[in-house]
Amino acid sequence: MVLKIHGFPISICTKRVALICREKNIPYELVTVNMLEGAHKGEAHTKVQHFGQVPFIEDDGFVLYESRAISRYLTKKYASQGTQGLIPTEPKAEALFEQAASIELTNFDPIGNGIADENIFKGLRGEQPDTKRVSQLVALLEEKVKGYEAILSKQPYLAGDHITLADLFHLPFGYMFSQMGIDALEKQPSVARWWKEISERESWLAVKDGVA
Amino acid sequence: MVLKLYGLTTSTKTRSVAQICKEKEIPYELITVDLRAGEQKLPPHLAIQPFGQVPVIDDDGFILYESRAIGRYLATKYANQGTPNLIPTNPKELAFFEQAASIELSNFEPHAYGVCFEKVFKLRRGLQTDEAALAKHLETLNAKLDAYEVILSKQKYLAGDYVTLADLYHLPFGMMVEGLGYDVFQRRPNVARWWNDISNRPSWSAVKNGA
Repeated sequence: MVLKIHGFPISICTKRVALICREKNIPYELVTVNMLEGAHKGEAHTKVQHFGQVPFIEDDGFVLYESRAISRYLTKKYASQGTQGLIPTEPKAEALFEQAASIELTNFDPIGNGIADENIFKGLRGEQPDTKRVSQLVALLEEKVKGYEAILSKQPYLAGDHITLADLFHLPFGYMFSQMGIDALEKQPSVARWWKEISERESWLAVKDGVA
Repeated sequence: MVLKLYGLTTSTKTRSVAQICKEKEIPYELITVDLRAGEQKLPPHLAIQPFGQVPVIDDDGFILYESRAIGRYLATKYANQGTPNLIPTNPKELAFFEQAASIELSNFEPHAYGVCFEKVFKLRRGLQTDEAALAKHLETLNAKLDAYEVILSKQKYLAGDYVTLADLYHLPFGMMVEGLGYDVFQRRPNVARWWNDISNRPSWSAVKNGA
């Protein structure tokens, strides 16, 4: 049975899962959860995903949520097909992957969430964005990018010499930043090199403007 | 050579790594990075942690940072000693562990940290609490813990029936939130059961007041 992704076409986290499916040549079917109508907060959805978020997957009856957990599960299940090495197996390489994956979740993702809340979700709730907070978040992002520069000036990818999930996980929010005119990822040379390269991957181009 | 843990005895994430060391019976040596003096932002430390943060480990020359990555590395390297299955190996159990680990980092940490930032860390730097931001973090944290209540009504721990790293990672900021007088865990029966269980583990008692 084909993998079902319960999500929303332009949701950051739905794009993240679809991207990994494409990297690993995993066919999928998008089952739309209409977030604009609040379907993600309705009982049918929250009995599966208790936080009222998207996406979740159904893999032959096995249900999982949290986009990065889904990505890791699919990468391991389909280890032998598609892009190789997205989660290294050698212990030290794996540890450096976990370091990079944690960097993304602790240093990058909260900034993405904060800016998305101000510039997108507040408008949907009829609230005004706090432009001062956006400026503070952009300034913080630029500080973090200096840390990324120190890493990427010594190696091509965040975990070492090969691309991993940790690099790919940055794409949805990173693309959102560029669409908003936030150019932090282009201001440091090694980060700009890395960003340009991962942004041009076929798997990302296929889903960046919406998952179908 | 004994594991070197660079951090500060009171730092939340340094204590998190120290707890994992206790769970896995790994001896360690704490090497103090003086956060109050800003040592973590100076070049010698930045050379090993480019974001200017603690903790960092040196395991016989192998340098690693990000407390959760360190926890995973140690739990995997020392899988055969101390508390077993802190990261499951069975594929579906592992998937549920990853789901729980992601829940902790994306649903719990930002808001628990947000409360601590407004009530503790800002004040230490001579800044004022933003009451509206604090209220928002508390509201969101409570909503998230309502979802935890549903999960923990069906199973003992966040990933299933036995404790994993995902549960333990809640302790440092969770304890700080509780210590500020916010009763977020005890008012929900299943969350309270889970919280009291993990808070009373000997590994946490050993480090909660200092790594």
